[in-house]
Amino acid sequence: MESLLLQYPWLDELLMGFIGLSWKHVVMWAIGALLIYLAVKKDYEPALLLPIGFGALLANIPHSSAISQVVGEEGFLWVLYKAGIANELFPVLIFIAIGAMCDFTPLIRRPIVMLFAAAAQFGIFATVIFATLMGFSFEHAASIGIIGAADGPTTIYVASRFAQDLLGPLSVAAYSYMSLVPVIQPPVIKALTTESERKIKMGYSDEEPVSQTTKFLFPIMVVLISGIVAPISVALIGSLMFGNLLKVSGVVDNLSNCAQNELANLVTLLLGITIGGTMAADTFLTTQVGMIMVLGAVAFVFDTAGGVLFAKLLNMFSASKINPMIGACGISAFPMSGRVIAKMALKEDPTNFIIQHAIGVNVAGQVASVVAGGLVLALIPALTK
Amino acid sequence: MEGATLKAITMMGIALPTMFFVIAIFMAATKLLHKAFPAGEEDEE
Repeated sequence: MESLLLQYPWLDELLMGFIGLSWKHVVMWAIGALLIYLAVKKDYEPALLLPIGFGALLANIPHSSAISQVVGEEGFLWVLYKAGIANELFPVLIFIAIGAMCDFTPLIRRPIVMLFAAAAQFGIFATVIFATLMGFSFEHAASIGIIGAADGPTTIYVASRFAQDLLGPLSVAAYSYMSLVPVIQPPVIKALTTESERKIKMGYSDEEPVSQTTKFLFPIMVVLISGIVAPISVALIGSLMFGNLLKVSGVVDNLSNCAQNELANLVTLLLGITIGGTMAADTFLTTQVGMIMVLGAVAFVFDTAGGVLFAKLLNMFSASKINPMIGACGISAFPMSGRVIAKMALKEDPTNFIIQHAIGVNVAGQVASVVAGGLVLALIPALTK
Repeated sequence: MEGATLKAITMMGIALPTMFFVIAIFMAATKLLHKAFPAGEEDEE
């Protein structure tokens, strides 16, 4: 073959795709195909897994022009990476969209649900410890732990600062496990609760309606408090609350609708395919990535356990009992986690409707995960000084 | 113990209590806000 190429140098140019092909590329095609399959056939986060899967295919064609980093010939995925991920723009834009979709009313009615959300961030920090024990550096371990925020944009935001080389696997793990919430959470909850606990009914009697003024001032208040505690989190929490302000202000419905639809769809599309473009075989097919996938599952399990056990702890001191399953909704996978837990309650007792409580905790999880992300962002540089 | 693990434990030791502290402030502020601006008849749920 080599002599043939020496004799006909133009063959090298013509056959570069075949010559550069290795088993690793083929394995990555299979992984890309699996992600596309999960999106199309299983409906697992299709808006993200489909573009990620296809981006992985584009990134694993030898000498792919889509990911070229040659000056003057940059591939579009590399351009998108520099324009939207390396500078953290895409996650922030996604947060504006999420904020515009969120309704914080159940959280304002029962602020106590925020405690469950705080407890359900336990998995982040437990996973950071496990990751360091498995040999990861502190910065990488913290970026892996943030998978437990169950919040794709937060994971991408932290990874793009402290673990750029792990961005692809971290994003895939975060979105994959978010879509696997119906598989991961129920067994953990069942292992930690009794049947009678899962059948606890929760009333709605003490809940007052929420005024428009309160809804309007809530996002401003959250930004001011969290911004003062962790200024580094302002980009994340600020964009989330800006999106919500658009919605609750009631005067810019067109902007709110744009954030919820056009912006969300466009940035999700670009984010997904760009992340897929980072999944080149050489960086993805490593034992490190295998460990990240395991640690991602650990993070979700510990998050769920943290929320449930905290609810059980509160029940020891509270006269009105809480269904401990709602503690599990404190992870940010919104609204899937809330729905899964509400369904579980109905399965245990067909007359037990806890959906409103579950969604309230789930919305609080959205805020708590961003606060946790902000704290991680602040503590990584502080502890590595 | 490895330096990275020690940092991870320190992070948990600082972050979790801070998290609950921030959340407690959120809770108190949200309650105050809710009380200060009760829903009127014109407010839709």
